Amino acid sequence: MEKITLSTKGVSMEYPGVKALKNVDFEISTGEIHAIVGANGAGKSTLMNVFAGSNPGYTGQVYLNGEPIEVRTPNFAKKHGIQIVYQEVDTALVPSLSVAENIMLNDLVMNMKGSFMNWGSVRKSAAKALDRLNIKNINVRTLVQNLTLAQKQMVLIARAIQADCNFLILDEPTAPLSDTETEELFRVVKSLRETENIAIMFISHRLHEVLQICDSYTVMRNGEIVHNAPVTPETTTKEIVEKMLGRSFEENFPKEKVEIGEKFFEVRNLSGAYGKVNNVSFYVKKGEIVGIAGLVGAGKSELCKTIFGSYKKTGGSILLNGKELKIGNPAQAVKNRLALVPEERRKEGVLVQETVAFNLSAACLDKFCLMSFVQKGKVNENARRFVDDLGIVTPSIRQHVRNLSGGNQQKVAVGKWLAADCDVYIFDEPTKGVDVGAKQDIFHLINNIAKAGNGVIYASCENSELLSITDRIYVMFGGEIMAELVTADTNEDEIMNYSVGTRA
Amino acid sequence: MDSAKTKHTAKFLLNWAAVITLVLCFLVFSLIKGSLFMSGINMVNILLAMSITTVFGIAATVTMAPDGFDMSACTLASCSAYVFVSSYLWFGFNLALSIIVTIIVTIIVYQLTMFLILVCKIPDMLATCALMFVHQGLGQWYIGGGAVSTGMKTSWGADPVRIQLSESFSAIGRAPYIIFIMLGCVLVAWIILDFTKHGRFLYAMGGNKQAAKLSGIDVKKYRYIAGMITAVFIAIGGIMVSSRGSSAQVMCCDNYLMQSLAAVFVGRSVGGAEKPNALGTLVGAMLVSTLENGLTICAVPYYVLPAVKGAVLALALIAAYAGTKDQ
Repeated sequence: MEKITLSTKGVSMEYPGVKALKNVDFEISTGEIHAIVGANGAGKSTLMNVFAGSNPGYTGQVYLNGEPIEVRTPNFAKKHGIQIVYQEVDTALVPSLSVAENIMLNDLVMNMKGSFMNWGSVRKSAAKALDRLNIKNINVRTLVQNLTLAQKQMVLIARAIQADCNFLILDEPTAPLSDTETEELFRVVKSLRETENIAIMFISHRLHEVLQICDSYTVMRNGEIVHNAPVTPETTTKEIVEKMLGRSFEENFPKEKVEIGEKFFEVRNLSGAYGKVNNVSFYVKKGEIVGIAGLVGAGKSELCKTIFGSYKKTGGSILLNGKELKIGNPAQAVKNRLALVPEERRKEGVLVQETVAFNLSAACLDKFCLMSFVQKGKVNENARRFVDDLGIVTPSIRQHVRNLSGGNQQKVAVGKWLAADCDVYIFDEPTKGVDVGAKQDIFHLINNIAKAGNGVIYASCENSELLSITDRIYVMFGGEIMAELVTADTNEDEIMNYSVGTRA
Repeated sequence: MDSAKTKHTAKFLLNWAAVITLVLCFLVFSLIKGSLFMSGINMVNILLAMSITTVFGIAATVTMAPDGFDMSACTLASCSAYVFVSSYLWFGFNLALSIIVTIIVTIIVYQLTMFLILVCKIPDMLATCALMFVHQGLGQWYIGGGAVSTGMKTSWGADPVRIQLSESFSAIGRAPYIIFIMLGCVLVAWIILDFTKHGRFLYAMGGNKQAAKLSGIDVKKYRYIAGMITAVFIAIGGIMVSSRGSSAQVMCCDNYLMQSLAAVFVGRSVGGAEKPNALGTLVGAMLVSTLENGLTICAVPYYVLPAVKGAVLALALIAAYAGTKDQ
């Protein structure tokens, strides 16, 4: 197969006030899997969007096989064999249409002759694309809304390769996937490299995956490429992290010593969330950080939401200070001084259209009201305090939250509950999509919450994080708790062992 | 695997809830009233009654496929009715020409709807809400505030060219022709939405506008096309109403809006389609009309009828949306 190269020379991209890319020189050829790594805001996605034609305002030159090209529209990129699969798969799929139509959508728009659908050939071509990926468990007639997240991703990859595809960009594809699903994705990606004339550009925050699957990697920092090398058996995640941060980084967050008090929050035989939480019992002591471990789909989020009353409880009880709480909906949970920082922060954790100041007071607006009238001064004062305390990077407290970076949005989502002064804080994947620097800040925050004598429930599928921040860990599998572990006496292997369904 | 089986059965029941309710209605009414309900003549009555609701429902279906909405469809249909009858009586056009003029005028008036939605970017619901009043006012200004019917002078006081409606004019509003027109409209919409790429693009827009846009679909163009198809169905609906009523009464079509929307919403889940679809709308309209017909035969007073009708519709909708998970 003839190698095709895609390269840039001096590509820059400027948003109002920010230089997102500075003079980037980059090259990639078909037949390799190339990782693009970097902290949030390093410019990875901006560069990929230049290739995908979604950043028409770039300056500098892009070359395809040495020929200069102008990638100013998504259609141009697609026609020249550059396909992108975004992290948010749902933005690119039409849930109410069948798998076949979703796979062939671009083709239908651009290439179909005549007005009438040739259902037979549409289904056949779609099945052929899935076949090339060697995927057997997706029926082309199913509606996309009935697929799992991993299957949706496969549908998008199938859509990408059924068109002319030489360069496939995968934007954080493994973030929402479980381990087995990640394996499956890697199998597909590797087979694409072997059998088709394709280069895969792989954006990921999970560096061990980069080492496992990629042939080479590029590190970006502040809009520049700072390092570019092949992946060798000697490459370590530590050295990549150092390049990403520009300084050495202590990967394990040192847990601070906190006085642990008596048992004050307890969940007994809790079931609910449409059968996804079964007979779960655990407790939290004052000042303790309790981890909930488990793979994606183990029921961690469902457990958090059931405790918080946003999923239906079908059995069991929740006790605070020995008294049973009546929680039928989130409003009652808040009244009982529980807080939930949900996983999908843009959708559930913050009000993106509102200002930082409003978000920080949203969970306890009562406190800032005088006879139902909001006192602006108090709201602002509260906001200023938390912006300082949490180190939220924002030009002003009147900034809309949608303009903040992921890590800062997460800080706002946490800060909102700090202002409300709760007793039990539930965190669901608080570090998802957050870069290493902001991660440290968030750990610090959580530690402070515990230090103040509150209980923390920390649900995460990142076992290394659980090991570094929690006191005890409960491991979930299939909606049940498999084991209770003391963090000081356990390790990742043991957690993993229970996560796949071994009973204690 | 028992739970999987019950789940499957439940899903099946929910998908066909509207059809099952319809069959139940037929059974119950037949049991109570026997051949008074279950007769050929009465079946034709039901088809007659549902035909207009169906055509307006089809118009709404086409608008709602790309996630549009039109509150002003039926006020515009009243205008179409005025235009149709006045072309025929006042100006003396022949029937075919009157129909063509009506469709063209409706399409022209619909440009205003599209202008507000696509150029001024007003959300569909708000734009068409405002247009409801515009249509009512403009329409009645044209007819001078009174009905257009035989034996009346034109709005500017002249004598009408024709003084009588012809046999073929009235035939449009009678069985079997009105039923054929309804079935024709359903068939055309079904073919467009399910079997042409244009229809699939409309559904793609309705399911995920951003994804549709990124796939290269010209979403504005297709919203416009959907609007134009809707306008044609609206005009047909207006023509049917005036033929059936042998005149164009003031605001003669306005009351069909809620019924037609109910038909679309009931039909949305038929067969697990999960989107507004032509055949579902037909089923929905039939359910509405069967209820009305059956209850009247059962001597339910006409003024209580809406409550009973609404309750059964709500039941069908509860079944249709029962499977939806809480957000």
